[in-house]
Amino acid sequence: MTNRFLSRRELLNRAGGGIAGLAFADLMRGATAAPGTSLLAVRAPHFPAKAKAVISIFCYGGVSHVDTFDPKPELLKRQGEAMTGKGDVVVSQGHPGGLMPSPWKFSKHGQSGMDVSELFPHVAKKVDEIALIRSMRSISNDHAPALFQMNTGFIQGGYPSMGSWITYGLGTENQNLPAFVVFSDPRGGPIGGAPNWGNGFMPAAYQGTPFRSTGDPIVDLKPPKEMTPERQRRWLDLLAQYNQQHLAKNPHDYELSARIQSYELAFQMQTEATDAVDLKKETAATRALYGVGEEPTDHVGRQALMARRLVERGVRFVQIFSGGGNFTESWDAHWDLELNHGMHCAETDKPIAGLMTDLKSRGLLDSTLIIWHGEFGRMPISQKMNGRDHNPYGFSVWMAGGGIKGGTVVGSTDEYGYAAVENKKTVNDLHATVLHQLGLNHEKLTFPYNGRNIRLTDVSGEVIREVVA
Amino acid sequence: MLPLRTFTLLVAPLFAVQLFASDLADDAALVLQHNCTGCHGADKQMGNLDLRSLESALEGGERGLAVEPGKSADSRLYKFIAGIEKPLMPPGKRLPAEDIEIIRKWIDDGAKVNSKEKSEAKPQEKAPVINTKMEERTITPEDRRYWAFVAPVRAPLPQVSTANPVDAFILATLRAKKLKPAGPADRRTLIRRAYLDLTGLPPTPANVQAFLDDGSPNAFPKVVEQLLASPHYGERWGRHWLDTVRYSDSGGFEYDRDRDTAWRYRDYVIKAFNDDKPYNQFVQEQIAGDEIAPKSYEGRIATGYLRLGLENNLKNEQTRMDDLDDLVATTSNAFLGLTVGCARCHNHKFDPIAQKDYYRMQAVFFSTKATEYPLVNEEEVKRFNAEQAHITELQVPWKAKLTEIEKPYKEKLIADKKSKLPEYVLVALKTPADKRTEGQKLNAEQVEKTLTADQKEILAAMPEADVQRHKQVSKEIADLDEQRPKPLPTAMAIAEKGREAVPSYFLYRGSPGSKGSLMKPGVIAAAIQGEWQFPEPPADATTTWRRSGLASWIAGAENPLTARVMVNRIWQHHFGEGIVRTPNNFGKMGERPTHPELLDWLATEFVQQHWSIKAIHRLIMNSETYQRASDDVAANLEIDGENRYFWRMPRQRLEAEGIRDSMMAVAGNLDLKVGGSAVHPYIDPALFQSSSKRTWVGKPDTDPETWRRGVYIFSKRSIPLPMLDVFDKPDSVGSCARRNRSTIAPQALILMNNSFVLMEAKMFADRLRREAGDDVTAQANLAFQLALSRPPSHSESETAFKFIRGDAQGLVDFCQTMLNLNEFVYIP
Repeated sequence: MTNRFLSRRELLNRAGGGIAGLAFADLMRGATAAPGTSLLAVRAPHFPAKAKAVISIFCYGGVSHVDTFDPKPELLKRQGEAMTGKGDVVVSQGHPGGLMPSPWKFSKHGQSGMDVSELFPHVAKKVDEIALIRSMRSISNDHAPALFQMNTGFIQGGYPSMGSWITYGLGTENQNLPAFVVFSDPRGGPIGGAPNWGNGFMPAAYQGTPFRSTGDPIVDLKPPKEMTPERQRRWLDLLAQYNQQHLAKNPHDYELSARIQSYELAFQMQTEATDAVDLKKETAATRALYGVGEEPTDHVGRQALMARRLVERGVRFVQIFSGGGNFTESWDAHWDLELNHGMHCAETDKPIAGLMTDLKSRGLLDSTLIIWHGEFGRMPISQKMNGRDHNPYGFSVWMAGGGIKGGTVVGSTDEYGYAAVENKKTVNDLHATVLHQLGLNHEKLTFPYNGRNIRLTDVSGEVIREVVA
Repeated sequence: MLPLRTFTLLVAPLFAVQLFASDLADDAALVLQHNCTGCHGADKQMGNLDLRSLESALEGGERGLAVEPGKSADSRLYKFIAGIEKPLMPPGKRLPAEDIEIIRKWIDDGAKVNSKEKSEAKPQEKAPVINTKMEERTITPEDRRYWAFVAPVRAPLPQVSTANPVDAFILATLRAKKLKPAGPADRRTLIRRAYLDLTGLPPTPANVQAFLDDGSPNAFPKVVEQLLASPHYGERWGRHWLDTVRYSDSGGFEYDRDRDTAWRYRDYVIKAFNDDKPYNQFVQEQIAGDEIAPKSYEGRIATGYLRLGLENNLKNEQTRMDDLDDLVATTSNAFLGLTVGCARCHNHKFDPIAQKDYYRMQAVFFSTKATEYPLVNEEEVKRFNAEQAHITELQVPWKAKLTEIEKPYKEKLIADKKSKLPEYVLVALKTPADKRTEGQKLNAEQVEKTLTADQKEILAAMPEADVQRHKQVSKEIADLDEQRPKPLPTAMAIAEKGREAVPSYFLYRGSPGSKGSLMKPGVIAAAIQGEWQFPEPPADATTTWRRSGLASWIAGAENPLTARVMVNRIWQHHFGEGIVRTPNNFGKMGERPTHPELLDWLATEFVQQHWSIKAIHRLIMNSETYQRASDDVAANLEIDGENRYFWRMPRQRLEAEGIRDSMMAVAGNLDLKVGGSAVHPYIDPALFQSSSKRTWVGKPDTDPETWRRGVYIFSKRSIPLPMLDVFDKPDSVGSCARRNRSTIAPQALILMNNSFVLMEAKMFADRLRREAGDDVTAQANLAFQLALSRPPSHSESETAFKFIRGDAQGLVDFCQTMLNLNEFVYIP
């Protein structure tokens, strides 16, 4: 146990944003961290990484692929007809209708000629940066299990989320900010709540920290007004003094010294986190690029711009949930698809494209992996006359930046967009690919829990090689 | 049985097979491979028919085609398995209905073979013969010789000069390893340790003084007795058990429904610890309380254990299997320290636990269903049901009236909406029903079934007079609802259909679509010689008695695991680490005990002491090992820096609840009421952003109702209380044997800035002024006594004086400092 003899300086350097207690140290035996090492210290990937950070844009409720990235002319040709030849069509809420054409037109874009609908005019200009997977499949046609699967790899809530796995694998480059940040839609969070960004059975150091897009970014980041910074500094100094006297009697106890250090980090976080989300420090042109200050893009624009600022400062994983709350507030277009997707696409299109432009101009796109996904797609047949029901049998997700081969289309769905038929991909495959871009081997990134070495990808998953540049 | 109909929530397996096009072929192939290839497969192909792949099935056999694509009624394959034509196939064994249905659908859908696979592989390569049989696993004598499967043996005590057996074993090892034990802890440390350890609350200055003043040799044993007799003992140690069984007050998944009666199980656990209920009885009640103590409400409440898992809002055969899997895994983790869950899809990779063990254990629980068991007599249930029915009846005319008021407006709204539908839908609606195409039928039906107007729209369309009428009638209905009887007190419990078990099967890869042989109940083969005899249920039994069979094996004195696993848990909660450091896994991938003889000695002692948990506490706490200082011994650091051999008492950070509880105890506002329904402290809405089905109605910090111990805080899976969550309160997805103990900046942020903590600092300051008067030195002195169980040193006191006098808010800030100290949050 040589680490018990670290110099104080070394110890404090290592202590960082959190340390492993003995219990955790035991779990980590044979893994990458030793007791006393910061849980969030930067750790080398398994192999050289393409990406250093991830921004996930999660369209909660389920985006319709046949209205956005997977054109199906057959739906117009056969509008109103029954969808045949597909066995029993399983819908989540009953009363399946006939085939329903998309109200939006598709056209080809970029050098790659990728088809994108008119719902995403700005993103369409970026297709040569995008690798589109049209053959995703997932297990559940129910929101919560599907969300949990997309975010944690398992349909039961309570497993560590993708962001947790990544910060566990790589640590973070800025100890003064949370390693894993989550923005919810101001109208409400996704169904299933905190387990979507939970640490599961891992230490709390790896849980996602919810950020607000207005006011103080983190709950409890700042004390109430009457507690002035001077007053706070004064008692923190007293705390440090008493704690140091206590530590002097137990000089080898790294948990005690790490806890002392955690207060200094927290104190610094108060200014650093506030600064990280201070959009006044951006130029008017940059803010305009994201659609900040105009409707309907302001809220997503702010979050996307904050995401860039966070990634720039070394944050490892940022997740933005678009859609929340109930009914049309999320992407869950059971009825009035035109209103629903019209609104959500208008809210997100410009900010997403702006984020890509901005990252690229700052040389950050290569090292930042963007994932655009939801928990499932939507049905090619109608529901409630003008909506679409949930569809986990075939849907689209895309990735960009972070060593992704732009202009790529992987797999396809059948003639209607009902089910993936060619080159089917699973959520495990998607997760394996995300980890791969970060230099992590999904089969080696494990955490022991109740007698098993658990993985983000459970017992399957293959890297989607076609999208890797 | 009481008339339970209104309460029974049936969770019986529903045979809803999810089918979709691209998987139909795969499913059909699996049905054939699992059921037919014994006679029509690699070894033999009776009738020259090969059913290893869909292609070969389509080729038929010596009697011609077995499959007529598109026509199941003409397909011999279907007619034979469906029993329409003889012989029934497979011979003597009718396939499950959903398997037959898969084949019918596959044939009627054109008997398509997955095109991609067809082009890629020849039939022989494509269709590996899947063995529907369980993987064989013979238990060898060597398997049974693995330490954890051998009954604990009580070794003679090592010859060291000590009376306490714990010390004898510990000291013998320390000597052998050339480790020097730390000196005894001072008395203030000792009493603070004992209080925090047993009750999770710091001692009061009076408690400390009484102990210091007691010069008798049994002063400490007396403290231990007092604490074991305290109702707050069960609150801390019951919480440890609640972690082990993944207790939560909500069901998780989409709705994360509140379990408003779960707290009765929580209180049962706390009471069991307080009463020192024999552990073997505690085990049996949780698994089979309804069978062994049918008349006792407590027995029923105890079976809440079987209901603690996640609740999927989708109920089908697959989700039912997942629920059972969770139960098998948790039961084996919690009671046996085994990872039986690993054997769902294959034999355990490291331990001698076969798939057979898994499915035998699953068979034990297979017949269970959820029930809300009324905790009142039959008469009261009848009265309740009658009152409910009466009010429902009184509401009928009012509801009819409401419908009548709404009717014209609703119809008009619907008509308006209809007129705006797309042309092709309008055409469908205009087409006479018998002339509609398939698509038109679907669309017309969809309009009829789903086109509606909601009440908001209807009210908006009404003139004021009708809105008023509508209001009046709605009020009548609401008033009647008010008169409904209060819900009966119920327990979240378990029932079964009857004494006959619901048949359960081996499932290939855990999938309900691939059934193998019928399973009988059983126990872990490697941990027993011969077969365990499950009892025959009594003639009037309402359950299969399989659970009591399993429970009596687990709780039997001969079980090699149960006592070891529990004494190890007790040891671990005292010392931070177990003798086996993987408390939920005594298998080969777990750790070996650091002190095997001590573990066995404690296990045998536990059984001899009638499974008394408190007896083990006494034994441990009255040892020198427990009473040592937590200071380092420099000479030991090189040999055992990790303190695996317990040469000193490890310092342990209080768990999440302990930190919050201690703050309130010190500030003087902790409500020490024991038990009852859970409380909802304030959570910033930005952290949960509720939806209609999932919300948190938090009370303000200042509401004394929330000043209860952490174990009474409503534990909602999707909305964790940040202060507990950030300090590693476990997610309750699976059994948590040992909490993580991380140290991170967000913990500091909460203790620095959270409004509750600031309120506690103010209350603490008020208490100091109240009890110590205006003298600053006296205030600081009392603060140290309350928060740290000791007076301040001279220099600490001087520092405190200067600090408090140096600012108008000096005392409050000083109090917040105290609540943030390392010394405050660590058990010394």
